[in-house]
Amino acid sequence: MTDEMASSESMGLGKSRIFTPEVINDIHVKADLGRYRMRGGGIFKKIPHWDELVFLPGTLTRFVIEGYREKCTTKTVLGSRFAKNPLVLDIPIYITGMSFGALSLEAKMALAKGASMAGTATCSGEGGMIPPERDFSTKWYYQVIQSRYGFNPHHLMLADAVEFFIGQGCKVGMGGHLMGQKVTEQVAEMRSLPAGIDQRSPARHPDWLGPDDLSLKIQEVREATDYQVPIQLKLGASRVYDDVRMAAKCGPDVIFLDGAEGGTGAGPHIATEETGIPLLAAIPEARRALEDVGLADEIDLVVAGGIRNGGDVAKCIALGADAIAIGSAALMALGSNKEVEGADYQGTFGVSAAEFYHWHTGKDPAGITTQDPELRKRLDVDEGATRVYNFLHTLTLEVQMLARACGKTDVHSLEPEDLAALTTEASAMARVPLAGTSYIPGVTESQTLEEIKTLLAKHVANDGGGSDV
Amino acid sequence: MVAMNPPTDQETRGRNDIRGLAEPDAEAPKVARVEGGTATFDAADLSPRLVNLELRRLIYAEGIREVRIENPGAKHSIAVGLLARCRITINGSLGYFGATLGDGPEIHITGRVGWSVAENMMSGVVVIDKNAGSLTGAAMRGGDLVVRGHVGARTGIDQKGGTIVVGGNAGSMTGFMMQRGRQIICGDVGPGMGDSMYDGEIYVGGTVAALGVDCIEAEMTPEDEELLDRKLGIYRIDRPDTFRKFVCGKQLYNYDNLEPSERKLVL
Repeated sequence: MTDEMASSESMGLGKSRIFTPEVINDIHVKADLGRYRMRGGGIFKKIPHWDELVFLPGTLTRFVIEGYREKCTTKTVLGSRFAKNPLVLDIPIYITGMSFGALSLEAKMALAKGASMAGTATCSGEGGMIPPERDFSTKWYYQVIQSRYGFNPHHLMLADAVEFFIGQGCKVGMGGHLMGQKVTEQVAEMRSLPAGIDQRSPARHPDWLGPDDLSLKIQEVREATDYQVPIQLKLGASRVYDDVRMAAKCGPDVIFLDGAEGGTGAGPHIATEETGIPLLAAIPEARRALEDVGLADEIDLVVAGGIRNGGDVAKCIALGADAIAIGSAALMALGSNKEVEGADYQGTFGVSAAEFYHWHTGKDPAGITTQDPELRKRLDVDEGATRVYNFLHTLTLEVQMLARACGKTDVHSLEPEDLAALTTEASAMARVPLAGTSYIPGVTESQTLEEIKTLLAKHVANDGGGSDV
Repeated sequence: MVAMNPPTDQETRGRNDIRGLAEPDAEAPKVARVEGGTATFDAADLSPRLVNLELRRLIYAEGIREVRIENPGAKHSIAVGLLARCRITINGSLGYFGATLGDGPEIHITGRVGWSVAENMMSGVVVIDKNAGSLTGAAMRGGDLVVRGHVGARTGIDQKGGTIVVGGNAGSMTGFMMQRGRQIICGDVGPGMGDSMYDGEIYVGGTVAALGVDCIEAEMTPEDEELLDRKLGIYRIDRPDTFRKFVCGKQLYNYDNLEPSERKLVL
């Protein structure tokens, strides 16, 4: 009896790892709400990530390139397959699609300006084109997204590249979300929606269903834009090998893969946690698919999802990406999740600035993921642009540093051979050897099996050759 | 789709996609005959790329306002992305994505059309004399889209403006997620009509198999009757004696406004 009634903590049996205080709280909240819970940001749970890969720089077997003295080029060209004007970027990093609506006008302008300063591109995102963003962007993607909110053929003609949004890594298989607080008169008008509604964008395109239709849709947009600009297909990382094979057959110039680490302005927590595969598992699968359909040299691969620093960027390139898009990190460079004067993160949201994930509420104290006129005043476009530029420049310097250390005079020359994995999971997913070994789970075994089969076949041939000695 | 000009060995090496749809290096064929301000050309031996290059040449470079295309052969992506006032007659049928992404053209198709005709049209008029496939007028933002025959499923999906007029019947999920604009269906409509619509009006002259989630019937007003008379009069479509009007029930506008008993609406 005393055991069950233990009154002191030292007598307790332990705590549930399944029903943690956070899980119990979540159940209580849902029992009150009667619906799934929304939030901004990316995945919370721990998944195999770039931290589990390291570079193997040159020592004696490879010679290294001098930092600051010898050239290491970063120029990145996307979409030269069919486009008359491929997208030429000075750096292998650009800013991914985030809608006006999810972001404030000032945030969109600052991202555009910062990206242009760095010689790279931005993307319209879902809510249609806002002229100041187009004005500030020297290179600009226009998104053909399921909802077609604000989609305008005149704006299509102004694009430097067209991105077909098919899915995003954060919530694969779902359309966008924008909560009523952020659907102001202006945002609603651009999207032809009633103001103040909780906007749930369609998950499927209105005018095509499967890959056969998609190849015709691509033909339509190519005809409308007269083959001037690249067509990019953005996929959430799911069944990557099969999806990329199908995507490649639809005839795009570029394929964009978004890993499960990617964030969102607003999405169901359950989808953010439970959909998609990590980018380090997706890139090798995409490369394998492109090799198998014979289009590895023709279709460019852009990747995104949870990219934080030049190390992550360099690892993506090494595994086979041609360019990397950033979203969450760009917002943080702008000043998201930062203490600002007048902000009370703890009092308003119950979390510190660094843990702030409430982009969906439209009450961002930094004035970035909001439409509130007072909060928006906190973001200065020019200062924000400079910070974005500084961050993009730093990422590039970091990629160059690692590329030079690995003996490359072009960042795009980084290759899987330059990487090692720190965990068996990362090794199996990224298909690079476990550090200090030549072992790649799955790959090594199948190679060994092939050798055994070959030897066995030779043995049978020798032995069964009709010898009657 | 059957490739109109079989690619040469040179073309298939690198400059062509797997399905043979991409033709990056083509040039306008310059085959049109121009008489009295009207250009006519035969599309029988032209690929969609060549048809569109010829159209663009005539309309933008030559400034011609009236074009007639013979033998369109149900090709896909014909007369897309035209952003100028002009009148185009297509004497026959089109495949998928016919007359899409336009702002201004007046396009008359004497035959039938495949999926997604007049997709994302901004303004102008598209008239189809016979039947249309599914996704007719998807994401359309303005102008008039008239189908004299029947239409398939999901007519006016994500429609954001303009008017879709159907002389015959419409399939299932008509007006799915419609945001704004009007649909006038003279015949019968299939199940799931107006499902998850945000706004706009659907007028039906015949029967409705079943309404979709959050679509409700509303009272016809004299303004509605005037609109129907006017639109059907312009396109000379016989007006059924009575119409019923359907609009959004607005129960799905906000996540938290549903009463516990209404929550099953979204399952």
